[in-house]
Amino acid sequence: MKKSNRTIAGKRTAVAYLVSAPSLVLIFLIVVFPILYTGYISLTNMNTYHWFDFRIIGLRNYERALLVFDSGFLSALLMTVIWTAVNMALQLIIAFLIANLLNVRHLPLRNVYKTILMFPWAMPGYVSILLWKTGMFNSEFGLLTQWMKELSGLTVRWLQNDLSAFICCTVVNLWLALPFMIMIMDGGLKSIDRSFYESATIDGAGSIRQAVFITLPCLKPIIGPSVMITLFTTFKQFDIIYLMTQQVGSQTGAHIHTIITYAYENAFITNNYGYSSAISIMIFVLLIVFAQTTKRRGKEADA
Amino acid sequence: MKMKTFRRVVSGVIINLFFIACCFLALLPILYALSVSLDAKGSLLSSDFSFIPKEFTLAHYIKVFTEEPVLLWFRNTMLLTAATVALAMATAVPAAYVFSRKRFAGRSVVLRILLLLYSFPSILSMFAIYKLMSAFGLVNTHIGLIIIYAGTMSVFALLNMKGYFDAIPVEIEEAGRIDGCSDLNIVTKIVLPLARPTLNVTGVMIVNFVWNEYIFSINFLTGSDRMTLASGLYSLQATETSGSWPMFAAASLVVSFPILVIFFLSQKHMISGLTSGGVKG
Amino acid sequence: MRSSPAFHYHTFLEESIMRKALCLLMVFILFLLTGCTGNPDNQGGKSGPVTITIWHDKEAAVIAVLEEAVKALEPEIVVMFEKKAGMTESLKLVGNDKNAAPDMYFFAHDKIGVYAEMGILTPVTDLLGDDALAGYLPLTVKGGTYKGKIYQVPLYFETLLFMYNKKYMAEKDIPATTEQLYAYMQRKTKYGHYGFVEQHSTPYYAAGWIHGFGGSLITDDGVPCLDCAEVKSALTYHKKFVEYMPGETEYATVNTLFTEGMAHATIAGPWFVPTVRAVGIDVGIAPMPIVDETGLPLAPYSGIQGLHVLKVQAQQKKNVILQVLRTLMRPEVSVKLAKVSGCAPAVESCYTLDEVTNDSLIMAMRHTAETAIPMPNIPEMDVMWTVTGNLLTNVNMSGQDVDSAAKAAQKKVLELIEAMK
Repeated sequence: MKKSNRTIAGKRTAVAYLVSAPSLVLIFLIVVFPILYTGYISLTNMNTYHWFDFRIIGLRNYERALLVFDSGFLSALLMTVIWTAVNMALQLIIAFLIANLLNVRHLPLRNVYKTILMFPWAMPGYVSILLWKTGMFNSEFGLLTQWMKELSGLTVRWLQNDLSAFICCTVVNLWLALPFMIMIMDGGLKSIDRSFYESATIDGAGSIRQAVFITLPCLKPIIGPSVMITLFTTFKQFDIIYLMTQQVGSQTGAHIHTIITYAYENAFITNNYGYSSAISIMIFVLLIVFAQTTKRRGKEADA
Repeated sequence: MKMKTFRRVVSGVIINLFFIACCFLALLPILYALSVSLDAKGSLLSSDFSFIPKEFTLAHYIKVFTEEPVLLWFRNTMLLTAATVALAMATAVPAAYVFSRKRFAGRSVVLRILLLLYSFPSILSMFAIYKLMSAFGLVNTHIGLIIIYAGTMSVFALLNMKGYFDAIPVEIEEAGRIDGCSDLNIVTKIVLPLARPTLNVTGVMIVNFVWNEYIFSINFLTGSDRMTLASGLYSLQATETSGSWPMFAAASLVVSFPILVIFFLSQKHMISGLTSGGVKG
Repeated sequence: MRSSPAFHYHTFLEESIMRKALCLLMVFILFLLTGCTGNPDNQGGKSGPVTITIWHDKEAAVIAVLEEAVKALEPEIVVMFEKKAGMTESLKLVGNDKNAAPDMYFFAHDKIGVYAEMGILTPVTDLLGDDALAGYLPLTVKGGTYKGKIYQVPLYFETLLFMYNKKYMAEKDIPATTEQLYAYMQRKTKYGHYGFVEQHSTPYYAAGWIHGFGGSLITDDGVPCLDCAEVKSALTYHKKFVEYMPGETEYATVNTLFTEGMAHATIAGPWFVPTVRAVGIDVGIAPMPIVDETGLPLAPYSGIQGLHVLKVQAQQKKNVILQVLRTLMRPEVSVKLAKVSGCAPAVESCYTLDEVTNDSLIMAMRHTAETAIPMPNIPEMDVMWTVTGNLLTNVNMSGQDVDSAAKAAQKKVLELIEAMK
């Protein structure tokens, strides 16, 4: 009896891996291999002076990388956590709201609204950030500045101090990221069996109670992976903060640094790829630890 | 009765107004770009900006189509997009199904690893992939780029679709098995139709990624006859010393437009069989 | 089959989609197997034309001049000019790859140090002989020299100019010294108008002020000097000018202010002049104001655009590349390029020609070239830009104290340069 169970299980495993092999191979080549390669480079001295003729030097890059983790890094880490928390909270709430409203019964222009709301996500990212920075927030000519001037006569330098720069970057991040979240939630909402809602209405539950007790629990497993992916992407967000406030030649005076922009300014611009790889690996480990602790805390909160 | 209809009408109006406001917010920078692209004055900034340009002109759009080989770029992008979607979906759908339905050794470990892959700052990946592609001799080829794109999107495709498959009740499949369907039939005739929303969403995500991706296509597919819409647009970017902002704005709108059309058309297929009641009782 | 209505829906449609997907997959697997390699780029052979690839980031008009010039070499040698976005990063990636690297690239001189250290460039004197660049302006040759070797054949150069709107700034108002400029700014900056604007916190532009105080960002040996006395005096002095300028340092704002007539004067490059003239502004060019304290004029950085040769290709195609270089080095090419790009030729002999001496823009640049300083091309410069940008922003826009900001910046840049090794 035991033998046949094991062979059945073994066969199932073999079939499972066989079927998913093409996908896993692709993922290994394109996603896992670069991580391994970066790890390899972190052990070498690849930099401007040894670009093609590098050799392994052991953990010296890591020693140097530890110096990057100074007080500046810690405040960047704090900023990154705040940035991620604020953005994730706002994204989830707003996307949930909009996705639910998009699925109400009588909405003839539903698909039109949905398509227009997807526009931010269809534009290439760097174009959008540029339009926001120069077209909206520019302290001389930007749309928002001009409206502000007309309303109150004040000239606002939106991006100059840390707090308003943070808010502006959050606005841009939400603008760019909400379409994705709305789309994922919308896809998830469409999978929930209508009959649940019908029986709940018969039982007398209002729409808010239905949302909390039916929609949320049903939605969680479906959108779970996407939420995690968005969490990581928000944490690693570089383009928005860099292009809005720190690109050389268009710096605004704000000093909001996340760990990626901090690492960029302190390591990646040196062209020392061995060193930068070590820092990337360390950030990677940091994020994994971060992910594990939030998962554990999430489990505790559930219990 | 009247109270109910009144409430329904009011809430309908409120919801529609809400959406109009949201759409305006979503479109604000786009309208700005649109206005810049239609303006004869030709600058990104101006002190008397108005949404409707004072001197209206289509010259920039005409320039986009005549001065740049936009149609060639379009053809290249379509080729890459179609191939990437085919490859990524064909490999990820079976994998997602298997990870969702079957229990086998190493399953949860692999899933957790896949999710954690997203936490890697991929600043130096270009080098690694270049080394990989040159080892296979795929550097300046369409196939190489397609593999890169499909691989990049596979993690998302696998995880997203797996989450969706998890939500499809197993009872439906068991009902099918009782009726004598083979495994393959169950997947193709029962599960996939029910999973249309997620196939749709994932497919559209992949289209969007490939459409707008320029960094890899600049480095891995050189030659002016192989430029894609994204890399072509990037090369049109105006800098301090050269380039035209209105033309760039016009080009970026032209490039984004097809994705919206694809998205709009795909909304028709967002209906899952599940909501029409697959299993009762 | 009887009790599950779910799969009644569109089963045939789903089947055909599945079938199509599987077919596509099979096609692509076949594709993979047969192998679809790219166009073989540089097939140098005894028979057939040799193709030379030159990467660049220039406008079509400029390239047209070069294409015209190399037509003479056909049909034995065919030169392909490829506009490459993100060229600096691509070169790092493929610089040593025989199959993917270009033969030459046409770009500014400031990346020479980085690429020379990476080992992807070959000195042009190896191909052209030691005194190949004898007839070139010293400024342009200096820009292309790194560690004693010359890596660039200069074609033209540009530097920043002081421009003013003749409608608002009268002849008598043109400032000869910086204090006069400041007085003008105090008088005229009101009601939305600015007496003078510039990209005050962009290192490339601010360097002009630093050089005007006799300082420099970094010495030729790669020792940065951000907390030298001269730099600090320059920053402190410059700060009072920034108070009368807008809060944006980026070029779109500054340039728009000038083209809309809201700024009376600015410092900009020659590329700006056609735009300005196109909107109908009567623009004048004046010499750079002189700093009262030191008696030196504002001396901005200069960029020299030229051809560089990649080592990996030069080994195979030495003679062909040599021919292309010699064709493009002819003075008439230089003059045509200068006209089209609005910059100044690098070859000395051009300046005897009438068509050059009659062009006020070119002659203004020739004049500024006496005092302009080429951008440092050493690898350390890469990190200097970022740190200097931060220093300027901190001092000008965040109101930090010059001494402490400079000290911190110097410390930071030394750490970064150390980290480069």
